Amino acid sequence: MGVAGVSLLATGIGFLIQTLAVASIYILVAIGLSITLGTLKFVNFAHAAVYLAGIYIGLAVALELPFSGDIGRGIGLGEVGLGLGFLAALAVIPIISFGLGLLMERFIARPFYDRPDTDQILVTFGVLLIVQEVIRGLVGGRSMTFTRPEWAQGAIGLGPLGTFARWRLAIIAITAVLVVVVYLYIEYTDVGLAVRAGTEDAEMVNLLGVRVTRPFLLIFGVGSGLAGAAGVVSGPVFSVVPEVGIGVLVPAFLVVVVGGVGSLVGSVVGGLLIGAVEVGLQMGAPTWASVGIYALAAVVIMLRPAGLFGVVEVDE
Amino acid sequence: MAGIAGLSGCLEGGGGGDSEYPALGNYPIEGDTATLGFNVPQTGPYQEEGADELRAYELAVEHLNNGGGWADLWSDLSGDGVNGYQIDYVTGDTATDADTARESASRMVERDGVIMFAGGSSSATAIAQQELAQQEKVVYMCCLTHSNDTTGGDCVRYGVREMFNAYMTGQALAPIVTAEYGDGLEFYQLYADYTWGQTVETSIREFFGAAGWSEVDSVPTPLGTDDYSTFLSGAVDSGADVLFLNHYGLDGSNSVSQAVDQGVNEEMEIVVPLYNVPMAAGAGGSIEGVFGTDGWDANLENEPTRLFADAFVERYGTVPSSPARLAYSGTMLYAAAVERAGTFYPPEVIRELEGYEWDNGGLGEEVLRACDHQAMRDILVVRGLSAAEQDPTAGRYWEVVEQASYPDQVGYGCDSGPAAACELGAYGDE
Repeated sequence: MGVAGVSLLATGIGFLIQTLAVASIYILVAIGLSITLGTLKFVNFAHAAVYLAGIYIGLAVALELPFSGDIGRGIGLGEVGLGLGFLAALAVIPIISFGLGLLMERFIARPFYDRPDTDQILVTFGVLLIVQEVIRGLVGGRSMTFTRPEWAQGAIGLGPLGTFARWRLAIIAITAVLVVVVYLYIEYTDVGLAVRAGTEDAEMVNLLGVRVTRPFLLIFGVGSGLAGAAGVVSGPVFSVVPEVGIGVLVPAFLVVVVGGVGSLVGSVVGGLLIGAVEVGLQMGAPTWASVGIYALAAVVIMLRPAGLFGVVEVDE
Repeated sequence: MAGIAGLSGCLEGGGGGDSEYPALGNYPIEGDTATLGFNVPQTGPYQEEGADELRAYELAVEHLNNGGGWADLWSDLSGDGVNGYQIDYVTGDTATDADTARESASRMVERDGVIMFAGGSSSATAIAQQELAQQEKVVYMCCLTHSNDTTGGDCVRYGVREMFNAYMTGQALAPIVTAEYGDGLEFYQLYADYTWGQTVETSIREFFGAAGWSEVDSVPTPLGTDDYSTFLSGAVDSGADVLFLNHYGLDGSNSVSQAVDQGVNEEMEIVVPLYNVPMAAGAGGSIEGVFGTDGWDANLENEPTRLFADAFVERYGTVPSSPARLAYSGTMLYAAAVERAGTFYPPEVIRELEGYEWDNGGLGEEVLRACDHQAMRDILVVRGLSAAEQDPTAGRYWEVVEQASYPDQVGYGCDSGPAAACELGAYGDE
């Protein structure tokens, strides 16, 4: 292989790492959205509220969180937090988010299972806005960031592949581990089997005497746990403000559209495709970067209405 | 005419709108309360700046009605309303979007009957609002807008700006940064892809090019981008010596902190042409050693600064940023012009603002030029401190390297720079 070949290979691998870094957060958030839509036929925009709550609760676990919003100042909360550091937040938040997911399923999702998609979208988007504004009222709109341990700061040089932020590489690794664990859970456990069967045909599974409510509830919680984890791992990369929930919702939803509803593999592939298009356009045609992911979603829907790995069409 | 103006002022004072001037825009004011409109980004990438502006606007209204702050310092102001009217206000959210800003401002003008409206960041929202101001004949006091176009090709009679612009940033930064980093260097620019970022990009190219540096490339990034990692990799790959990050607000916090996290500062020097406190707070220790400009600093030792900053801290418990000072100052400048004119009649207020010179705004001598409605004033060239040296409770995130002064170091004539493209519109009483 000549020098040009090595350089091309290095550029390709650099592009892949960059794509993985961008796609990781989208994938973690999209998996929960996709599973809920696939199993429960529930359009859950409030999923992004769990992501948002994960970040802010994570900040309160990791640091002393200043409650400087109008409501926070009004009731004189001052600074509240456990100050346990970033790793504690990383460990605790997925579990808390799992619990938030169960509560959300019981009190928000379940009353709306049999209602039209539009009702589900309205109520869940409303929940997201309420959570966002409550956070703004308590904490304020000023941006915050997680302080990371020293090993997770700064950059690491990978020779000709380029220099990458250590934490971005850590996010790729964390995402990979979480995705594999959830994949094994769905593929090789009874709960996963019930979920997969229920996704194909919930009515038939019920007729066969398998109660899918509990597995669906568990998988709702798992999806929420992933969203919370996504919130904490992205916190050190992007300035945290109350709008980050809405900010992540759109690309995550596009990942579901591209990858296909109800498919974990679809979410991963969809996330990688969206990430690749975004990174590719940022490199070659930056002004089109934010439009490109919508164009990709439009093309995929036209060619395969159920998405690349979709089990069901969204409105089926 | 002067006699009539004086008479009208007397008649108008105390409310009731009994005026010798013809109706224009939202003049005359009905009742004995004058309403101002504060239209700031409460959401979007510049929301932190907007929140700070809003706090300062509310403080300004309080001082105008009840005394305190600059209302006690400026001889034109009484601290008991303005020209016999109590001041009330309405607020709006521009969402850091020009169309939303225009709609929100339009509601203030038509529904709320505001006699003056103010706000802006971004420059795109400020330009959209001042176009509306000219059309509706309601005065607009620009706040945080740094694009050359605001008082250049897009200038209007009904908009005035105390904020400096990208052209002046280039003038202030180039000599200091080139002296620090050396001659003949190559630079790379990432810029927010709208009027502000575009004019910063042009001005950086112009002044650093003139100082002997050469541009390797310049890449636009969409406003509101979260993830700059790909753009930053491209900058490092270019082999340039210096990277200009022409981003602001949350975008600026993200781009500079991601740059440092990605090790860009080990490969090249980083410059952030326009800084402010919320942005520096978001970026934390990432701004260590990074040059930039800002309009004002709460730690300056002069009476107007102390009066405003102390009142702000007492009221809100946080140190005001430079956008907050702009908001406060703009409201005070307008109120003082009304008092001098003796009327809220917009053309007379504008004539009072045009050519007005003052030295009690915390920045030394300033003049609001009649030719393009741009303030000529000093600019602070600053350099970020390390995380350990920063003191968030005092709002101290950088050291002031130099107060680049007008006219020695910054400024331009009415027929040059951005002003050459400016044609102010009509007063409306011609």
